[in-house]
Amino acid sequence: MITKTIMCPNCKTHVTIEGNPGEKYLVACPNCNLKGHFTLQGTETKSSEFSLEIHGLTKTYKDVKAVDNLSFSVRKGEVFGFLGPNGAGKSTTIKAMLGLIHVNSGDIKFNGFDIKKHDIDIKQKIGFLPERVSFYDNLTPVQTLNFFCELKGVDKSVVPSLIKEVGLEEAMNRKVGTFSKGMVQLLGVAQALIGNPSIYILDEPTAGLDARWVKIVREKIKMLNERGATVIFSSHILSEVETLCDRVAIINKGKLIAQDTVANLSRYLHMKPRLEITIKGLNGKIPDMLGSFQGVEAVEVNGDVLSVTCESQIRSKIISSLGEAGFVIDNIKTIEPSLEDTFIKLIEGGT
Amino acid sequence: MARINPRALYTIAKKEFMDNIRNKWAILLTLLFVITIVLVTYAVGNAESGQDPEKITQDIVFFLLAVTSVLIPLIAIILGFSTISGEAESGALYVVLSYPVKRVEVLLGKLLGLGSVIILSVFIGFGLGGIAIALIVRPESWVGYFAFIFLSIFLGLIYLSLVICISAFCKRRITSIAGGILVFFWSMIYGIVITAVLYATGGTIEDLMSGNIPDWFYNSVVISPGDLHQTTVQMAFDVKSIDAMGASFTIPDFLNMGTLILSHIIWFIVPLVLAYYFFKRRDI
Repeated sequence: MITKTIMCPNCKTHVTIEGNPGEKYLVACPNCNLKGHFTLQGTETKSSEFSLEIHGLTKTYKDVKAVDNLSFSVRKGEVFGFLGPNGAGKSTTIKAMLGLIHVNSGDIKFNGFDIKKHDIDIKQKIGFLPERVSFYDNLTPVQTLNFFCELKGVDKSVVPSLIKEVGLEEAMNRKVGTFSKGMVQLLGVAQALIGNPSIYILDEPTAGLDARWVKIVREKIKMLNERGATVIFSSHILSEVETLCDRVAIINKGKLIAQDTVANLSRYLHMKPRLEITIKGLNGKIPDMLGSFQGVEAVEVNGDVLSVTCESQIRSKIISSLGEAGFVIDNIKTIEPSLEDTFIKLIEGGT
Repeated sequence: MARINPRALYTIAKKEFMDNIRNKWAILLTLLFVITIVLVTYAVGNAESGQDPEKITQDIVFFLLAVTSVLIPLIAIILGFSTISGEAESGALYVVLSYPVKRVEVLLGKLLGLGSVIILSVFIGFGLGGIAIALIVRPESWVGYFAFIFLSIFLGLIYLSLVICISAFCKRRITSIAGGILVFFWSMIYGIVITAVLYATGGTIEDLMSGNIPDWFYNSVVISPGDLHQTTVQMAFDVKSIDAMGASFTIPDFLNMGTLILSHIIWFIVPLVLAYYFFKRRDI
């Protein structure tokens, strides 16, 4: 089985096709419904092409299923967003990845190797940042990072540059016990970088950081990915993944809801871009003529701003008709559906 | 049990030592320990001056025993009661176990690192105490005193092993505090418990006062690490009977050095094996 993404010749939407190599498939564009035949080319995807494969993971705490038959995979070299509301089972899944909890069932493989059998070798290549990171109050950042370097068998000479990289030089000789939450988080980032891991697992990496540091962490994720590392990070903030991730998995109540590219997730839900038209003197009135258009899904008005959710083909028609009807158009904007909207829709309605 | 990587073991032990050597409670208790040991040496040494130096040393040790058998377990409990539960709760353990290190290495590394803090604390206290004894009492034989040092370290390690076990079992720091307190008080209430058992099985106060007591009453000291320690220190000074409550108690043959040391080893090993079992099964 292989996966290929093609572009719809009509509306330029990305369409993902799954199937066996060499076989012909009838493909319909989820956006404009253009149909066509496509022959899948390429070779079978081998398991080692995945940095991480999770299959049928289930973990029960007492009577509660924290993770329920969860399966997804992360390709080598991609930034993978692991999404879900608080309490969806993200942290439990991450703990299971690292072999920190005893799962009821399921397999977890890194680069094709089972975490249960090869945990020491796998962890050598992983950089991990937990959601609420904590260190040792009586040690300085240098002592803390020296300790983690020793645990990984990495030369301690990297420590000063790691401290510099996260901007903790001034606090270098202070005890970690005196640090603010944000500073501890930065030290957490520094320890995750030890030994240039090929896979990063970041659990809510920006939680509790102020805007400036959120930006820095995002840039760091991009940079690590450009160096060739696979980055898996969890988040409950959707705007975060839209710009960063190649693909995302969304879970809720321990179950996988969707796994796809960010673009495809929006398309699958038939969420259309919204047209925002600013009309002089509209003053909260919806033009009657909009009712006569086929393909208009929703119309909202806020002052002089008219929002129309509609099929993309009729956008220009709407604009020209408004002009003909005598409305003075000041500005036109197209708003792509945010993942936030997708997310809410997915959780509310299921797939 | 998995193969242990000495480097990982050493790294964990070193970190524990560095982190806990600055534990303010451990420092405070060690200070108290030093002050007591010097004061007792000075006071007993002066009060009994002119007597046989070996007898004076023995008296000093028996005085000290009352203090060390409280302070050393207390230091061990404070150092170890939340070493696993506390780090699991704060999240530090979560980071450590994402590194290429086995749980058995973390457990034994903690034992080594915290054990080193206890050993250092004992050496400081008994070292200064030893200097005071050397200056004031000038004994010729130090065998008993060295045995006392050795047994005090052993006592510390037994309590450390016990609280590490509790800390591996308890999910939360707060419950392991309760566990630590329970461990601490067991040796305090043991005397009352065992006397109650004696009465319940037909013993009387008269029996107790006259020293007419069944052997099991003595032998049961093996179930209380604190009393076990005290009895062993007395044996190390070749004391075969105890004078208390106006009667003289003869220590039964069962309580020879062999069984006493074996009991120490069991008290050390069993909690450690249990700690490994709990830690291995634990969800972090």
